[in-house]
Amino acid sequence: MDDFLTVIALIISLNAVVCLYRAAIGPTAQDRLLGVNIVGTKTLVVVILVTFIQAEGFFLDVAIVYTLLLFVVTVALSRYLEAEGWEEM
Amino acid sequence: MVQDIVAGAFCCVGTFFFLVGTTGLIRMPDVFSRLHPSTKCDTLGACSLIVGMAVYSGWSWELLKLIIIACFVLLSSATCGHAIGRSALRGDIKCWRRKNGVEDGHGT
Amino acid sequence: MGGGYAFSRRLLLCIILFAFWIALTATLALYDLVLGAVCSAFVAVLTVALLGRALDPRITPMVLLRLPWFLLRLIWEIIKANYDVAKIILHPRLPIDPEIVEYRTYLPGDLPRTVFSDSITLTPGTVTVELEEDLLKIHCLCPYHQEGLAGLERMVAWLFGVKRHG
Repeated sequence: MDDFLTVIALIISLNAVVCLYRAAIGPTAQDRLLGVNIVGTKTLVVVILVTFIQAEGFFLDVAIVYTLLLFVVTVALSRYLEAEGWEEM
Repeated sequence: MVQDIVAGAFCCVGTFFFLVGTTGLIRMPDVFSRLHPSTKCDTLGACSLIVGMAVYSGWSWELLKLIIIACFVLLSSATCGHAIGRSALRGDIKCWRRKNGVEDGHGT
Repeated sequence: MGGGYAFSRRLLLCIILFAFWIALTATLALYDLVLGAVCSAFVAVLTVALLGRALDPRITPMVLLRLPWFLLRLIWEIIKANYDVAKIILHPRLPIDPEIVEYRTYLPGDLPRTVFSDSITLTPGTVTVELEEDLLKIHCLCPYHQEGLAGLERMVAWLFGVKRHG
């Protein structure tokens, strides 16, 4: 089962790299933000998988904090972009 | 043994939806359309992987924490999608439209 | 707003916080339980002192009881949505015709509207991009995706016990 979970974690990590491609080329700032947000979700899942591969319960607390941090970062950045748009108008 | 198989099936479904979400993120034409794969496929992918891990861990305290994480993911991805969409709308990004006359709605 | 009502709101907040504490500490030892009870009571009192109210007045025990059933229905909708969107994404010709539609909701107050817009975001082919008073701007992937909105609105109205009038 551990090998299986490791393979899943690797596939998701490769997925995250592909999402970084969108974050790199994205024509607008919102595209980049979306790409980074998705990479964050994938990282969260990889952290949860690592919890069960290593059988270390405390990684789950890391995952909870990571979710909250990701949420705050995305909302704060999109509010920032919104405010910038207003200034230009 | 049965537990492992069910957990593995959930993990496979989750990985499939992650792959679909990534494909959508690359293929879709504009920000608003890209919000769909990111808010739906990624949420379901993450949630079904979390459910798979919950089945794998069985009855333990980890289960409660996993449920909390799943609720956070559901709430935060919807709100993040909303926030990004709103900033795109206020940033005057035009919504991509199909050229009229070429396709009639549903496609085949 | 009477004193007994305010106290019961604080008690409800305290119970929710205490359940969260137990889930996070992951033990049932007496020391942790007592510490958790003290902490959640302290935070409940502090919340009232800072925000002027304990919980949004629309969160009642009835809503909390209806929440699991609502979540189950929502998860079923999410699974259908994902099947639909996955089919569209993997289709070789990408059969989408996106447009932004406006939708006027009869749900009152901030909380039901927020729950409604979050539910819209999680269900087939629709993403809420703007919410102002009772006007929602919704980005639809295909025109036929708008049909599910009214049913979803009824579901949220049922959750909060809102009756439609007018």
